[in-house]
Amino acid sequence: MSNVTMKVNGKPVSGDVEGRTLLVDFLRGPLGLTGTHVGCDTSQCGACVVHVNGEAVKACAMFALEAEGAEVRTIEGMAEADGSLGTIQAAFQEHHGLQCGFCTPGMVMSAAALLKDNPKPSEAEIREYLEGNICRCTGYHNIVKAILAASGQDVPAIAAE
Amino acid sequence: MSVAKPLTHDAARLHVTGAARYVDDIPTPTGTLNLAFGTSSVAHGEVTGCDLAEVRAAPGVVAVLTADDLPFANDVSPSIHDEPLLAKSVVHYVGQPIFCVVADTHLAARKAARLAKIDYAEHPALLTIDEALAADSRFEDGPRIYEKGDAEAALAAAPRLVEGSIEIGGQEHFYLEGQAALALPQEGGDMLVHSSTQHPTEIQHKVAEALGVPMHAVRVETRRMGGGFGGKESQGNALAVACAVAARATGRPCKMRYDRDDDMEITGKRHDFRIAYRAGVDEDGRIIGIVFEHFCRCGWSQDLSLPVADRAMLHADNAYHLPSAKIISHRLRTNTQSATAFRGFGGPQGMLGIERVMDHIAHDLGCDPLQVRRLNFYRAPEERPGGIAPPGPPAGYLETGKIEKGADLASRGVTEAVAQTPAPVVPSGAQTTPYHMPVEDFILHDMVATLEESADYAARRERVRAWNAENPILKKGIALTPVKFGISFTLTHLNQAGALVHVYQDGSIHMNHGGTEMGQGLFQKVAQVAAASFGVDLDAVKITATDTGKVPNTSATAASSGSDLNGMAVKAACDTIRNRMAAHLADLHQTEPRKVHFEGGKVFVGDEEYTFAEATAQAYAGRVSLSATGFYKTPKVQWDRIAGRGRPFFYFAYGAAVTEVVIDRLTGENRILRTDILHDCGASLNPALDIGQIEGGYVQGAGWLTTEELVWNAKGRLTTHAPSTYKIPACSDRPRIFNVTLWDGANREETIYRSKAVGEPPFMLGISALMALSDAVAACGDGSVYPALDAPATAERVLWAVRRQEAGA
Amino acid sequence: MYAFELERPKTLDAAKAALAGDEAQALGGGQTLIPTLKARLASPAKLVSLAAVEGMSGVKAEGDQLVIGGATTHAIVAAEAALTYPGLADLASHIGDPAVRNRGTIGGSLANNDPSACYPAAVLASGATIVTDRRQIAADAFFDGMFTTVLDEGEIITEVRFPVPQAGAYAKFVQPASRFALTGVFVARFSEGVRVAVTGASEEGVFRWTEAETALSGNFAPEAVDGLSVSPDGMIGDLHGTPAYRANLVKVMTKRAVAAAS
Repeated sequence: MSNVTMKVNGKPVSGDVEGRTLLVDFLRGPLGLTGTHVGCDTSQCGACVVHVNGEAVKACAMFALEAEGAEVRTIEGMAEADGSLGTIQAAFQEHHGLQCGFCTPGMVMSAAALLKDNPKPSEAEIREYLEGNICRCTGYHNIVKAILAASGQDVPAIAAE
Repeated sequence: MSVAKPLTHDAARLHVTGAARYVDDIPTPTGTLNLAFGTSSVAHGEVTGCDLAEVRAAPGVVAVLTADDLPFANDVSPSIHDEPLLAKSVVHYVGQPIFCVVADTHLAARKAARLAKIDYAEHPALLTIDEALAADSRFEDGPRIYEKGDAEAALAAAPRLVEGSIEIGGQEHFYLEGQAALALPQEGGDMLVHSSTQHPTEIQHKVAEALGVPMHAVRVETRRMGGGFGGKESQGNALAVACAVAARATGRPCKMRYDRDDDMEITGKRHDFRIAYRAGVDEDGRIIGIVFEHFCRCGWSQDLSLPVADRAMLHADNAYHLPSAKIISHRLRTNTQSATAFRGFGGPQGMLGIERVMDHIAHDLGCDPLQVRRLNFYRAPEERPGGIAPPGPPAGYLETGKIEKGADLASRGVTEAVAQTPAPVVPSGAQTTPYHMPVEDFILHDMVATLEESADYAARRERVRAWNAENPILKKGIALTPVKFGISFTLTHLNQAGALVHVYQDGSIHMNHGGTEMGQGLFQKVAQVAAASFGVDLDAVKITATDTGKVPNTSATAASSGSDLNGMAVKAACDTIRNRMAAHLADLHQTEPRKVHFEGGKVFVGDEEYTFAEATAQAYAGRVSLSATGFYKTPKVQWDRIAGRGRPFFYFAYGAAVTEVVIDRLTGENRILRTDILHDCGASLNPALDIGQIEGGYVQGAGWLTTEELVWNAKGRLTTHAPSTYKIPACSDRPRIFNVTLWDGANREETIYRSKAVGEPPFMLGISALMALSDAVAACGDGSVYPALDAPATAERVLWAVRRQEAGA
Repeated sequence: MYAFELERPKTLDAAKAALAGDEAQALGGGQTLIPTLKARLASPAKLVSLAAVEGMSGVKAEGDQLVIGGATTHAIVAAEAALTYPGLADLASHIGDPAVRNRGTIGGSLANNDPSACYPAAVLASGATIVTDRRQIAADAFFDGMFTTVLDEGEIITEVRFPVPQAGAYAKFVQPASRFALTGVFVARFSEGVRVAVTGASEEGVFRWTEAETALSGNFAPEAVDGLSVSPDGMIGDLHGTPAYRANLVKVMTKRAVAAAS
């Protein structure tokens, strides 16, 4: 066991972990941050994406000890200080960018990382950026729409509205 | 009113903040144990030695269970009790659970499970359709046959014969949340189970059997699943039963979740099929008679395979009138995972068979496949679509059908002895399906004409032709395919649902029903129904977890039936309470109950007006019961699954899609360029949720037929057991242009607010992608060789199909 | 996953010391190693993360060479090599997905030598030099078959020195599920000739397609390889593609890479 210290969603945290403890297990277990999901265990599906020092990483493909001293942000840290939804979160809700919701935290975190570097991505750029986030429900259409909307760009109206 | 509005998913806020809880997120008491299965490494054999000493001695291990340690039923089958939780002596597939490790942590359990030393005497394994056929290894005595007219005679007389065969691969569900269960022992031997399941009643039933207790001693709760798609109709049984048995044995809460590899190696998938066809057609391409032979690879246990194979037969016609037809269905037993329910439940495979025939006929005739499809469509009914259907005879099924003793009543896997069902009355002018059901609501003529225009089909077909003439490497293809999908459980008695509604004295409403939420938005739709009944805002209605303690004897949330059944049941419960309130308020104001209106959060009684909360308080003070159950059973359905005769479906849901693709003839790479969909949800309860189902269903269906390839090695081990080897559509695989529109028309049958079921039908719109690929491949040749593309049409498969075109030219 | 220690040394000397013991293994970004450990195919007693070692990350030009630190992530290469060696930056920008590129490193990829990895093709086609804590190794001498290199136990890749070609490009046929190369071809044209390296296809791992090099050195155009054929013998046959399919891809991807480079 080794002690690890990091900041998660702005709060300093520490805990004893084994060398093999994955960051995702540290977040979900001792920290109780179960919004970060494990979808595949093989670092493909992206349900576990969090930010480490501002960059999107798969928390199932990183050891907790590797995040020593890092600033970690999870889906639980994405809302505004007053508890209202952040822009991306609100856009996913409003544009139906989710169904079963299991991929949603990872999608939101990936979208945030994209918009940080590329505030007005094209549809093609969004598609390419989300290559490592699998959604089995939506067919991705509304997810792309939500990210376009969150970046302040026009979104084609939903046909039935 | 709250229905027909595009409201967001009820849990959207919870999902985007990470607050929505799945089974593995539920805080567990200290001391909760974790389970993992030790599984068979051979496809067929006898366990001759099973040394678990190292497993028991491994760090963190609390207990190890084998078949001998199970005090009561060792059975997790949803049908004929042929699926032990833990293998007794013979193992039937690679991945079959043999023992169960109970340990402090998930990791400790999984690690320990690998330490077993198991010896096997291997038996020959049947892995493929051909091997199973050669060994006559099948479920049921022989093939099931449905027949209408004399198809063989029609074939003999037909001017043209089109024959061939298509291989159709299976499909992994890949619900993002893997299977999971948590069992918490209660006082007096009772058990509370949280399960990621589409069928809480089935879990309750199997857990009760395994614990040797009545069903009342087991309560199952399901708040939500992270996707189901049919994969959680029966496949959650093993985890829930294992947890309950281990919890009983240790007295501690027990949790189990499959890692993705385990999930893919242990659980069943979509059935793969081979469909052979011989169609007799006239010179215009009209089918006169057809013979289909379905070869269905069911895996090692029966599970739900019989109704799956039935539904494939029931969709062998899709949208086409087959004057004479013979459908032969072989349900083959193999040493692979037991194939199970998956969105469409056999319907997609059956439908792909006839769509393949349409494509083949058109190629032979050298004409546009759409022309052949339209020529073969069922006749449009004389009355307008959306017209009201006459009431049918009362369903007499339960009175005539006999259930076997000890049968798994609430499962689709149960088989019934069926009394002779009289042939349905065929209204004059109506055409019938191969199972003799008149098709009275056929709206595809209008829908396809509308889609053809909105998608600019004719002009784009010309542009595709022009493109292909000019481009030697990149070839395009386009196809329009229709969907007609039958709605109802084909096991008729499952078409029932219950609900429980409470109105509290402050006017807030607690709503519960038998349906489960897996992302499809069922809870929101049904809440919209409840809010509409009371004329209140949606936020007055509390959506609660599915709970066998609140609503008993539920059917699986399956067969697209969720909102049809549960919406009606909830409406019945709400109407009961509302009518009691209305009667009381009318009494107070000396007026008629029919003059009491619930609207906009208010209750109007003559000239008086109350807020809903005030009206509730009045009713409470007047000692009016503000709690009610609701019940619904689908009318009109009645059929004989053995004879293939009757009305298995209450109605049909329709849709059509145009897909345009491009392939690279040097590599077989392919892309969907554009998809246009027109889909029929009746009078949609929630257009936004319905469109989401359509988009997601299409992409999943196209994935099944293009990239999603399951591969087993020669020893029967599944080699595609992770997303690194099994290709699910990703964001860049979705169509570049994706237009989805809802058909504007009410269900002619009396469903909840005249809506139609939407879960499964859009999946089959994905067939248009495969047919467009066939069109593109054909463009690489001179028309002399039919592409005969098998599914999934991976890049490599497309390349070899292109090479056949080049060789034939 | 088996229990092990994880160390995060700050200096190269400390990393060398940490790796000196038995069964210690270097950890780059972990994007291949961690999933592998999870599948329990590897069980080191100690992992030594190189991420925190000073001076091992970064991209810089030195003379006519591009020098990339061994612990440099794919994302950094994609961003920082874009002007000096666009073909290499493009390759890096299509490895895995964004989250993988934020963690995975060039040193980790080369040391692992996955037969379907992208970087080995660039290194071999560029005639790069792999610099370790103890020696310099020419690309032609570095790769030693699937998952095998000439690196010794505990040897650390500190940097990779790429001669920058006049033109260079990578064409990858993606294995759609993993996003590794089903077959990938890197083509690099230098004044002294063209080098062509193929990954993902051969059972021997990354290799140079010398017939194509000769043809392209004479005429650097896609049609120069039209007359060549690739034998399926020795090509990988697995669940993702047959040897014949991969052999076909070698040629097609070579043509695409040449087209992209010219």
